Amino acid sequence: MDEDNKITIGNSKNQIIETEVPMGTVHSAAIEPYRIRLFVEDEIVKDAEITIGVNHRGVERIMEGLPVEKANSLTEKICGICSNIHLWNSVLVAEKALEIEVPERAQYIRIIVAELERLQSHLLYLAHGNEVLGHETFSMRLFYIRETVSDLLCMIGGNRVQYGVPVIGGLRPRAELDQMRIQKLNEGMDLLEEKISNFAQRFVSDPMIMSRITGVGTLRKEDALKLATSGPTLRATGVEVDLRRDMKEYDPFEFEVITQDGGDVKSNLLVRVLESLESVKIIRQAANHLPEGNITNRSWDMQDAPITKSYVEAPRGKLYHSYALEDGRVRHSIVRTPSIANIGAMQYACIGCHITDAQLAVVQCDPCFTCTDRAIQIIRL
Amino acid sequence: MSLKSYSRARAVHVMLVYTGGCNGCDIEIVNCIFSPKYDAEQYKIFLTWNPREADVLVVTGPVTAHNEKPLKAIYDAIPEPKAVIAAGACALMGGVYKNIHGDIPSEEICGPVDKIIPVDAKVPGCAVRPQDVLAGAVAALPKLLNAD
Amino acid sequence: MTIVDSLIALTAVIGTLIVAFVVSVWLPGVERKFIHARIQQRIGPPISSPGLMSPIKFFFKEIINPNSPMPRLYNSIPLIGIIITIFLLIIIMPQLYPLAAFASIIALVGLLKVEEILYMFMGALSKSVLSLKMPFPDVVKGAKHPDVPRSFVEELSAMRAFRLIAFGSFPIYIAIFVPVAMASSIFLSDIVSYQQVHGPVLFSLSGILGAIVFFIGFMILLNEYPFSILKTKADVIEGPLLEYASKYRAYVYISRGLLIFVLSSIFCTLFLGIPPNLLSWTILVNILMAFIFTILMAVVSAFSPIFTFKQFYPVVAGVSVLGILAIIASFL
Repeated sequence: MDEDNKITIGNSKNQIIETEVPMGTVHSAAIEPYRIRLFVEDEIVKDAEITIGVNHRGVERIMEGLPVEKANSLTEKICGICSNIHLWNSVLVAEKALEIEVPERAQYIRIIVAELERLQSHLLYLAHGNEVLGHETFSMRLFYIRETVSDLLCMIGGNRVQYGVPVIGGLRPRAELDQMRIQKLNEGMDLLEEKISNFAQRFVSDPMIMSRITGVGTLRKEDALKLATSGPTLRATGVEVDLRRDMKEYDPFEFEVITQDGGDVKSNLLVRVLESLESVKIIRQAANHLPEGNITNRSWDMQDAPITKSYVEAPRGKLYHSYALEDGRVRHSIVRTPSIANIGAMQYACIGCHITDAQLAVVQCDPCFTCTDRAIQIIRL
Repeated sequence: MSLKSYSRARAVHVMLVYTGGCNGCDIEIVNCIFSPKYDAEQYKIFLTWNPREADVLVVTGPVTAHNEKPLKAIYDAIPEPKAVIAAGACALMGGVYKNIHGDIPSEEICGPVDKIIPVDAKVPGCAVRPQDVLAGAVAALPKLLNAD
Repeated sequence: MTIVDSLIALTAVIGTLIVAFVVSVWLPGVERKFIHARIQQRIGPPISSPGLMSPIKFFFKEIINPNSPMPRLYNSIPLIGIIITIFLLIIIMPQLYPLAAFASIIALVGLLKVEEILYMFMGALSKSVLSLKMPFPDVVKGAKHPDVPRSFVEELSAMRAFRLIAFGSFPIYIAIFVPVAMASSIFLSDIVSYQQVHGPVLFSLSGILGAIVFFIGFMILLNEYPFSILKTKADVIEGPLLEYASKYRAYVYISRGLLIFVLSSIFCTLFLGIPPNLLSWTILVNILMAFIFTILMAVVSAFSPIFTFKQFYPVVAGVSVLGILAIIASFL
């Protein structure tokens, strides 16, 4: 690594490390399997090493050679928390490669599902964060709020976790929104807005919680940019970047890009709370101005395509999918998830924390180790 | 019912080991224990993270290569009588990941779970529903109750 | 004292112990079902499950050898804990007051101190599978700092237990000395008889301050949620208790409930002048106080996150200052 490229926080060479405390792969703080080695001196973390790859299953490898429709539905199994965004992005890649126009109504419903997913992902994150904080009550309340979203997703997609709404050219017929569903969606949004804002009020006015999370696990803006973090983790350090601003699907909707200064656990939690409220706003707009028309465009032909890429804003940040198609089958596929950069950054964020805060500092980036464990290749540019 | 079986039925400690699925089953199982909507504690099922305390091991995921030994270690640490619930399609038969290299044995996936440790109850679903997990725990109970 | 009198005294002591035991097994259930579950808007477990049925279940489990350098010592520690708790209960009973040296604050403080030290031993002796022993290839080529000594998470707990002995138990000891300062005697018999003459210590300014300090100290001693840095789920999982299985874990469960009862009885003795005595109706006050303490503790723990040392030090320092104020106020 070059001298000017060096991360400014973290370890100098002449520091004392008393002992190493390994945690994982089965641990109560991060339910997912991963290994973290914390190098501590007097319970203060001096250095950390996160080992990922425990979850590697090689989904891209299975996708190669499959018909593109099948490969699309496989991407859904990459992650159970953000399954829809993987599916949507892979469908987007295929549509881009095959030059398919998607009906406007389908775009709107896709966005409704994507934002519902963002809501459930953020609520799950907040609940998990509170669990790691040791606050069981808040965690349970958030899980209870999250049930509303899960029910709505179950109503639209037919399953609580992997709903699989987008298909190439539009939507699955099941996901069509009729008047009753829109009404339910609106009721759900009212309930959620009330509950989330009540919770946020209660949360920020709790002095014990604030004392635990303020200034813990700080990631500075420059470091966050250098470490290529994205999504809410980057926005929590004060950088106003949101891929939804660049996506043409989001053009009709009014929403704000939430940023916080600080880059600590508090900013990370608050970014997610406020973003959930923005998602509620987007869902309301989409549900109330749903264009009439068909939801699936079936008039397309399979053709060969070179490597096609697409970026979307997943709940955790920037998600990348690429396909190359040949004879209707996937010849090449790469998935790069936002968590891989975010988790790497957290290795630096937890330096200087007390050891109890270290897991919290890792959890603050909303780590998703199943997303992360892709076949990666480091290319020096 | 003897005091032994009665007490075992009134306090079931569940431990969750997650071996590399897609997180979906995992959320739903945590959901069924943490969410007040399902609240497994009302059925006397308690969550623990310590194998020495656990009676029932809930395993999700297809058991990736790095997870095989930890899973065995955790299973061995649980004192008898113990039961294992495999939850989700991946844990039952490898799910979509099973067929990675066709007929060539996979390097990534060591599962399904019953290749590695004996499984007493199987909960199907992709992802499993919280209700089904509770039903699975009930299905594994007779083994616990009737053991010496 | 005639033989009949001593027999009655002996019966009373044993009877009180049995009552304490019977009450204490319901306390964790009350905590979980009536407070935590109510606050969390769910139904919660049956009241007998956490405190009564879990230990019985653990008695019927296979006895395994814990991963520990000294398995026998490690397994005997919870039993020692229970015996010390029982001793604590015995010395505050009025039947023991004739043995003046035993029935004094010094013995009380000493026994409480031993109770704390046990956690250090547990932490040092437990070598669970969940951290270092996990079969995972992490020290490999390219790993950071391959030569650093490696430790188990329980060793963290042992170090924390050591710190808690150093400063965490200040509040409870300071609170214990408030009634001593008021009655100007370290003997429990004097403290109790002082309160029978002048009314309970609790109903004075220093008594109220002392009670608050005692409550915080009580929660620290029990490692209940905001103060459970010894066994937080966020890093050390269960810390010192990780390796206890089968009947030894049952002892851990029982000793916790018993300790709640005994500490609340100590509170009754020192602040209300009501020692636990089966021969008097006042035993009901002791039982009631055990439930009140459990409920208050559960409410506090349900609404607070875990404290790290950053929060722990100021809380302990502040509460200790409050306790010293209470002692000063008792001289006025």
